[in-house]
Amino acid sequence: MKTTKGDKLGITLFLIPPLALFALFFIYPVSYVFVTSFFKWDGISDAAFVAFQNYLALFKDPIFRRSVVNNVIWALTAGLIQVPLALLVALILSKKPRGWKVFRTVYFMPQVISGIALATLWSTMYNSEYGLINALLGVVGLEHLQKNWLGTTQTAFPALLIYWVFYIGYYMVIILAEITSISEEYYEAASIDGANKIQQDLYVTLPLVRNSIITCITLAMVFGLRQFEQVYLLTNGGPANKTSVMVLYLYKEMQNNNYGYANATGVMLIIVGTIVIVGVRKLFASKQYES
Amino acid sequence: MAAIDIKLPNEKKTSVETNKHLSVILNVLKWIVLMFFAIYAIFPILWLLISSFKTNAELMSEPFGLPAVWQFGNYLNALKASNLGILFANSVFISIAATCINIMLAGMISYCIARFTFKGKEIIFVMFSAGILVPLNALMVPYFTIVNKLGLYDKHIGLIIVYTAIGIPVSTFIVRGFMNGIPREVEEAAIIDGCGFFKRFFMIILPLSKTGLVTAATFQFLTCWNEFVYSMLLTSSTKVRTIQLGIRYFTNQFSTDFVSMYAAIIVSIIPSVICYMLFQEQIISGLTSGAVKG
Repeated sequence: MKTTKGDKLGITLFLIPPLALFALFFIYPVSYVFVTSFFKWDGISDAAFVAFQNYLALFKDPIFRRSVVNNVIWALTAGLIQVPLALLVALILSKKPRGWKVFRTVYFMPQVISGIALATLWSTMYNSEYGLINALLGVVGLEHLQKNWLGTTQTAFPALLIYWVFYIGYYMVIILAEITSISEEYYEAASIDGANKIQQDLYVTLPLVRNSIITCITLAMVFGLRQFEQVYLLTNGGPANKTSVMVLYLYKEMQNNNYGYANATGVMLIIVGTIVIVGVRKLFASKQYES
Repeated sequence: MAAIDIKLPNEKKTSVETNKHLSVILNVLKWIVLMFFAIYAIFPILWLLISSFKTNAELMSEPFGLPAVWQFGNYLNALKASNLGILFANSVFISIAATCINIMLAGMISYCIARFTFKGKEIIFVMFSAGILVPLNALMVPYFTIVNKLGLYDKHIGLIIVYTAIGIPVSTFIVRGFMNGIPREVEEAAIIDGCGFFKRFFMIILPLSKTGLVTAATFQFLTCWNEFVYSMLLTSSTKVRTIQLGIRYFTNQFSTDFVSMYAAIIVSIIPSVICYMLFQEQIISGLTSGAVKG
């Protein structure tokens, strides 16, 4: 289509408002975070340039290191357990068993509920006095396993991870849609070659939905690095900072007016996120060349 | 040769039989897996819903039973004790305003990207893709400073602008996808009839991309309704705060009155669930339209 003079004016007028907002809330803040991470700054008095001191202090702090490790565990759990589970369920639902649409609706339901509401719900589940989990253990006669799940050092972090890892709806829906878009012909050809249903899943479906699996793994890991609400509400990093994550660490430093230091944490979050995204792509791209 | 001919049918029979056993086992496993995830997804929410109608004594003594008398009064208690009404109204106002503005802006920029070539189009594309993957939580300090400097701290309009902005990349990708699918001939005919840029956008393109706009709006509304971090960071008074923040404080306000707290949480969930029930197909198509794929 030819662009006329009137179109040019229209395009300019249409681009300015959204791009201005994007610049103000994406480009400017990201640059701002990078620049101020090299300053000691409390938000009130003048900022002092300290070069890499914020970063050095970050790596020296065992709580920050713990937070990074927790985030990495979280991201790996998401990518290596949550997404494969979602894939398994998507494969089952793609055969359209009875009521598959109802299952799909139910699986996705937790995704539309806010993280904070889910976290509150699970804090009542885990509660040591009236919680549902201890009650369930009581019903089946395993009273000796009842404990304060979120207050015990050994169980706090696993408890945070586990409740959330089985919410697979988001990735399941993405993979399922990709599977259902595969042409029937592939399966007809495979069954003529004598492949049974499982072989068809392994050798026809999986390679064809590879891209959406990679997408899901990337998204799952990125979400794993961003965790905040759940931790903030369920444990607030405790006991003994064992369950801290990077965003919570950033939030607490910000509350202490260590703005430059908090932004150094933000930069680390962006860098780790970028490494994960690029890493996942590289890992799966290289496999493509081999085969 | 003859021996083989006799043997073959037998072998086939046994392999068919083992296949039958295997498929029965697989079938059972399949339903166990499906039921496990279904119960996991729905049971806690149902439990919360049922518990919100119990008395506190019932909740303690029989956590799994049904309430003897359904206590609708819990919801009245929740409304009275926690400013639930104001928080709810704030969330409705902020989410709807931020969704409307966001969709309008996304429609405008999508139209330019989908239909015209201009300098910097590729850059916009790359930046928006990056924008989807940037961890917004890392930007707490700058968002706080920007909103303060604009004098929008603890104001409805502050949250509306922030929510509008953070949803622009995702909404743009969804809407652009739908606009790409509108045949160009429709618009070319309009040009011959003398329709200008704005008339074509408002009279032809917007109505034809309704499905895309509704999909993007659904995502945007859910994002706004469920957002917590920036609501906490950028507001301080009950007049402005959203219901998500309310949930955080319910836990303190109802430290002994659990059932009222559950009622308050259920109230906060209802709009999301209604939105999901109404627009389920859009949510699924939006997730898979490549919009969220970065």
